[in-house]
Formats: sequence, structure tokens, C-alpha cells
Amino acid sequence: MEINEQKTDQCVIIGITGRLDTTNYSILEKKLMELIDNHHDKILVECSKMDYVSSSGLRILLMALKKVTMAKGKFVLCGLQENIREIFEISGFTNIFEIYTTQDEALKVF
Amino acid sequence: MQIRFPKFFRFGGLAFRYSLFFLAAILLIFFIAFVYSYGYSSVLLLEGAEKDATILTQQTIARFENVLQPAELVPQTLVNAMENPNISYNDILRISREFVVQDTVVFGSCLAFEPYGYDKDQYWYAPYIYEKGKNVSTRLLGSSSYDYFKMDWYRLPKLLHKPVWTEPYFDKGGGNALMCTYSIPFYKTVNGINTFAGVLTMDISLDAFERMVKEIKVYKSGYGFLVSREGMIITSPLMVMENKNILEIARDRKGHEMIKAVKAMLAGKTGFTSTDGLEAKNHPSFLSYAPVASTGWSFGIVFPADELLDDLFRFFKKILWIFLYSILALLLATTMITRRLTRPIIRLVEATKMIGQGDFHAKLPFRKSKDEIAQLTNAFGVMQDELRNYVVSLQETTMAKEKIESELHVAHTIQMGMLPRGFNTPSNWELYATLDPAKAVGGDLYDFFYLDPEHLCIAIGDVAGKGVPASLFMMVTRTLLRAKAIAGIPINEVMQSINHELCQDNPNQMFVTFFAGIVHLKTGEMEFCNAGHNYPYILGPGGDIRQIKAKGGLPLGVNETMSYRSEKFCFKPREILVLTTDGITDALNASNDFFGETKLASSLASMANKNTKGLTDSLIIELKRFSLGTEQADDITILALQYKNPSVTNERPMETIQLKLKNQLSELDQIAVNLETLAEKWNIPGKIVMEINLVLEELFTNVLFYAFDDKDEHDINLDFILIDVHQLQIRIEDNGKPFNLLEKKVNDVFDKPLEDRQIGGLGIHFVREMMNSVEYQRADNKNIVILTKNF
Repeated sequence: MEINEQKTDQCVIIGITGRLDTTNYSILEKKLMELIDNHHDKILVECSKMDYVSSSGLRILLMALKKVTMAKGKFVLCGLQENIREIFEISGFTNIFEIYTTQDEALKVF
Repeated sequence: MQIRFPKFFRFGGLAFRYSLFFLAAILLIFFIAFVYSYGYSSVLLLEGAEKDATILTQQTIARFENVLQPAELVPQTLVNAMENPNISYNDILRISREFVVQDTVVFGSCLAFEPYGYDKDQYWYAPYIYEKGKNVSTRLLGSSSYDYFKMDWYRLPKLLHKPVWTEPYFDKGGGNALMCTYSIPFYKTVNGINTFAGVLTMDISLDAFERMVKEIKVYKSGYGFLVSREGMIITSPLMVMENKNILEIARDRKGHEMIKAVKAMLAGKTGFTSTDGLEAKNHPSFLSYAPVASTGWSFGIVFPADELLDDLFRFFKKILWIFLYSILALLLATTMITRRLTRPIIRLVEATKMIGQGDFHAKLPFRKSKDEIAQLTNAFGVMQDELRNYVVSLQETTMAKEKIESELHVAHTIQMGMLPRGFNTPSNWELYATLDPAKAVGGDLYDFFYLDPEHLCIAIGDVAGKGVPASLFMMVTRTLLRAKAIAGIPINEVMQSINHELCQDNPNQMFVTFFAGIVHLKTGEMEFCNAGHNYPYILGPGGDIRQIKAKGGLPLGVNETMSYRSEKFCFKPREILVLTTDGITDALNASNDFFGETKLASSLASMANKNTKGLTDSLIIELKRFSLGTEQADDITILALQYKNPSVTNERPMETIQLKLKNQLSELDQIAVNLETLAEKWNIPGKIVMEINLVLEELFTNVLFYAFDDKDEHDINLDFILIDVHQLQIRIEDNGKPFNLLEKKVNDVFDKPLEDRQIGGLGIHFVREMMNSVEYQRADNKNIVILTKNF
């Protein structure tokens, strides 16, 4: 898994490439917590290149969502692949995450 | 510390209460009687006192008269004698003198003449004979300083022409005593005319009266008193009153009653009245009075009211004490008696308590008498026997019931045992069925069996009613089906034949809704007949669901001559036939809503990706969740049959790939890499691969984190078995501590809000959702999880 970070005026865009699983979720965890602790509480996670996510990965996303929501910020996902989206649906996460199809769409909400 | 009263005083007890009640009644009655008799006695006493006082008054007056009469009679006689010319004034004086000497009361006597009446030269002439010490002296009255003509004792008889008693007076010159004078006029005839000549007087000392009055004692301080005509108190034992005017005393007191009484006295009347005290204020007293006729005086007796009632009061006080002591004695006596009466009741109560605690042999108190308590005791004895018998028979009944129940249990086992369990089908077919009875033995049934290697007979039915009769009917039906269904005979004829048999001997008018079909395993064709049963569902692989509105005829056992119609259906690949009984659609939830056909259809639609067992289990779970908190009302039966692929035959060998892993997180990569290879080889779509990967990651990490307590290296084996072209079986084995993830309740995941769900639960949820079936075994100290995934 690769993580790239891009800071814009509106928010921080985190792009995830590859597999987010039990072996590497801690990297994303560290990154997101760092951002949130430094008061970057507007975060967009770009998932179009993420082709696998396990429940460990979902846990990190859920944790980040909770922290950001508590800080009255915004945590948004975009570009979920079809398979990934299904996993979100099965877990019921589509109901609690704000998910947009494209990055442009997602950026409008900040 | 709690104070314990001796048992004798059982305050709440019958004995005490009845005694108390009884005594309270007595007290009340006594009180009324007491008050009444006190009042009545005082009235009687008053009447008696009035009578006594009146008598005493009259007696005293009579004594007065006895004294007064000689003082009147003697001068009267003398005056009468004066009319006799042979008797001279000197004779009169001599007799008078004798009288004065002899009579103790008469103190003196005077013969007073009119001016110049006796002697022409003497203006005054009044010889007065009187006691002086022990002698009798005589002196002449009348001088310028003592002009007796103006004195009452002279003037009044002269004016009134009749004898007069003067007001009492204190004679200073004469007797130095309180005196009273009786004056009687005498006359002489002058020229034939009776002319007033003078008066003859008798002075009487009032000492005698004083003595008589003082002798009178009424009660403790009652006294008598004598009042003159004018109201002067002549004598009274009370010094304060003597020589005072009674009318003035009365007026001073301003007592209306008293003034009235005094006026009546002075008017010479007789009476008895209550009044204020004469000698002091506010001393309620009684006054009895009567006139002394001769002198015009009045005599009264006064006695205080309280003294009159004093004795009575003392008497009643004594009575009251006697009564109170009697009451106390009575209280003791009645308590003792009632205790004696209630003692057997208390014993009976103790015996009853023991019986209540289960000692049916508790000894009841023995009573020789025939009273009510004895009857009660006997009745208790009878009850005790009955109870003993009842318990014995209850134990017997319970044992019999338990026997029946255990027999019912056996029946249930037999019934369940009759249902086919081995779901052996050719590899291109999959069959699963379940029956969950509402009571120990139910009226639902399902069945499947081969008519020949190519024909499978399936059936589902529901007997109207539940319990043993329904289950017997159900067994008969099944036996008939097995007997009648023969290869080559159309299913409608089989049904007709069963119907005929069932109608033959059906005294209870039982019937069964029945669906039966004969499946041609090679072609996927099914010939079926529906005898009034729920419509079957056809579930397509994409989740499309439909019902076959099959109407073959009435339920079996209703009409003997009924002819049945068969229909045909052809399975498409991967379609599932779902047969159910109304136990599903009629299931109720806590708010009395039916599960219903719509919910059944939509539930089935969401289970398209499951195999027949997964589908059946999921439906049962969903139903249980729906009717949580209610009792299962009807048997629930599901039979699911899937036609997988017509082209595949079971000759094809199963392919297996084994993966040996260590308990290290990095092995996850191994899983992912191997899955990719495997997917390519077995044509598994990417989405399925990802799902398998996800599930394996969850299960693998689960084992990693929870299965081992130590930090040693352990093996975790993964077997991938292609059991069919579109079906993969995965076995995961570890030698960690026992953990059955299937025991983790689905509710754990769903009952909580999303945010609070545990990620661990989410992993299990993924496993259940993404696999077609999940099984767990514990064998050889290993956890074995078997997953099946269709693709």
C-alpha cells in the first residue's frame, strides 16, 4: 500500500493505492492521527486506486471519522471501486460515511 | 430488647379481645345505670329531705306553740274572767303573779289601764310583775319618760281590738333578755257600752326558743332560724344573722329565689325551696319554712345541698370501686375461660402450620367433647387425610405425566428419525430440508427419496392440527407416499391414491395440505402436484424470486373422490426450489404482525448467493429474529432444492491446493498471492477472489490474535478444494484453543448502533455474509473452519 498526501486550501487529500489490510493498516492509522492531531480536520480519502480493504482498514477509517466528527471537521471518501463499495455496503458503512463517486464532487462539500 | 408478655396476655388473641369487648359492654351498661341511679337517688333523697325538713319544721313549730299557748291562754282566761264583776283587778294581778312564778317562759306580766282608768287621779297605772333574779317584784310602769300608751304592746291591741304579739325586743330595764310580749285588750261596760279599758300583757323570754332552735341540727351544718313578723331574725345559731332583718339579707344577696322565699316566709306561707345560703353567698342550700301561727313568726330550716348529697356521693364512690375491682376480676376470669376454650384452636393452628410446611402426619389435638372446635379438628383431620391422598395421587399423576412426556419425547425422536437426513444428491443437485416443530411432536412433514437413480421424489406437507394426532396422521401420509410413489406412475395419480387411502378411515376428519414432485435429475424437469399446500418459490441466481401458483386439488383426506391434476416445471441452472409450510408466513412477532409472503419473498431474494443449507439456516435465523419474544405457534418446515449445472457430472475429480502457513502476520501476503494464482487456474471472478481474501484475512488474523496463548511458532493450514466447477471449499485448521466463531451471535453485530460495533464482530459478519456456508468442527485438538463459496 502506498499513501500520498496532498494539502489544498480546502482540505487534505489522502490517496491510497493498493491493499489496505491487517499488515499495513497501522501506516494509515499513524498518518491520519497525525493529521487530526495537527488540527487538519478536513480530510478527503481518495480510494480509486485502493483495490482491497479488510476490516482492520475499515476500523481505521471509522476511527478517523469519529475523531474528525468530534472535532467538528469533515471526513469524506471518494472514488470507491465497485468491489470495495460492496464491502462497505455489507458492513453497513455506506450509511455512516459520506461517499462520493469522484474527487471533484467530494471537494465541493468542503 | 423485646419485651415478651406472658402467654396469658395474648393481646391480639380471641380470649383477650372477647373479654375486652365483653367488659367494655359491661362498663357502658354500668355507667348508664350508675348515672341514672345516681340521678334518681338524688331526686329521692331530695324528696326525702324535703319531707324530713317539713316534718322537722312542723314539729319545731308545734314545740313553739306548746310554749306559747299557755302565754296566750292564761291572759285570755284572765281577761274573760275580768268580765265577771266578782273578780277584782287585784285577783287578776294575783293570778298573773302566780303564773309568772310558775311558768318558766313567762317572764313578766303587766296590767295596764287607760288613763285614769284605774284611779281617777292617776294618768298612768300599770302594775308590772316580773322575775328579778329568783324573786318576783312588782313595779308600776308609766311615766313621762315611759309613756306606755304609745308603746306597741299597748297601742296595737287597743287599735286592733284583738290580742297582739309584739315584735321581739331586748328588755334592758326589765329582764335584760330578748323578749316578746303578748298583749290582750280588756274591756269594761260603761253605760252598757263595752269600752276598752286596758291591756293585759305576758312577757315571755325568748331564751327557750333560742335553745330549741339551737338544738336543731340538720346534716352537718344545717340549722334552724326564727323570723319575726317584720323579718327580724329572732334567733339563729349563727351570730352573724341574729337581730338582722332577713329581707335585707336577701336583698343584699340579690338572689331572686331567695327574695321570693323570704317574702313567702313573711307572708306566713309554708314551703320548701332551693336557695343561696343565708349566711354566706354561693352556698347552694335548701330552705324549709312554715309560719308560727300564733305569733305570726316564721320558722325556717336551712341545709346545704352538698351535705344532702354527700352521703350519696360517698356511697356511689364506694360502689364504683367495688365495681372496678369486680371488673378486673371478671377480666381475669373471662380471659382464663376463653383461653381455655381457644387453647385447642391454637394447637390446631400449630398443627395446621406443620401441615402447611408439608408435614402431613402432624398430630392434631385430641378433643373428647363434641363442641364446634372438636368438629373443626375433625374436619381438619379429614382434610389432612385428603391432602395426604391427594399428594400421593399427584405424585403418581406427575410420574405418569413424566412418563407420557418422555414417551412424547421418544415419539418426537421417532418422528424426526423418520425424516430423511442424508442429503445425498448427484453433484449437480443440492438438497437441504429442516423441520422445527412447535410442540414436541408436530404435524408438518417433508420427505425425499429416489424412485430410481434418475428420479427423485420430494414432498412437503402440513397436517391440520398439532400434537400426537397430527404427527400420527403425518406419519401415515408419509408411509402412504413411500408406498404409492413408484417410478412411472404420474404424481397426480399417486396423490389421488394417497387421498383415497386417507379418506377411507378418517374418523377425526383430519386432512393434510401436501405438495409432491418427481424431479428428473438429468433434465431438471419436475412433475408436481399441489394438494392445497403453500405455493412453492423459485429463486433465481440473480435474486429474482417467483411463486408457482400450483393448484392440483383439495388437501388430502378431504374428499375421497377428488381427482388431482399435475403440473410441470423445468429448473434453469442454479435455480432453487423453496418449499415451505405456513409456519413461516404465519409466524407472529411481539406486536402481532405476520411474517407474511412478502417478507418471505424478499428474504429469499436476498439469499440467492447461498447454498440450500445456508439459505435454510438464514431463513430460520431471520424468522427467529422476527418472532423474538413470542412462542413458536406452528411447525416450521423448509425444503430447498437447487439445480446447479446440467453439464457437470460427478465423474470429475476434485482439485485441491494446500497452503501451510505460520502464525505470522506477513503470511497474509502469501494468502493473497496464492489466491491470485488459484483464481486464474479455476476461473474465479475478481470480486469473489477479493471476498475470499477478505474472509481469509479475518479468519487468519482471528487465529493469530486469539488462538495462541504462547509466542511459539504454530502451523495454520489452508486447503482450497474445488468441489464443483463453481464451488470452492476452503478448510482452515489451527491447533489453538477452541473457538467457534459460529457461536458468536449475529445479534452482537446488529443490535448495537454502527459506531459501537466491534470490529471483531464485523469480521465475523463479513465471513457469514460473503460465504455461502460456514461450518466449524473441533477435531484432533484442532479448530477446523470449512467455508463454501459458489462462483
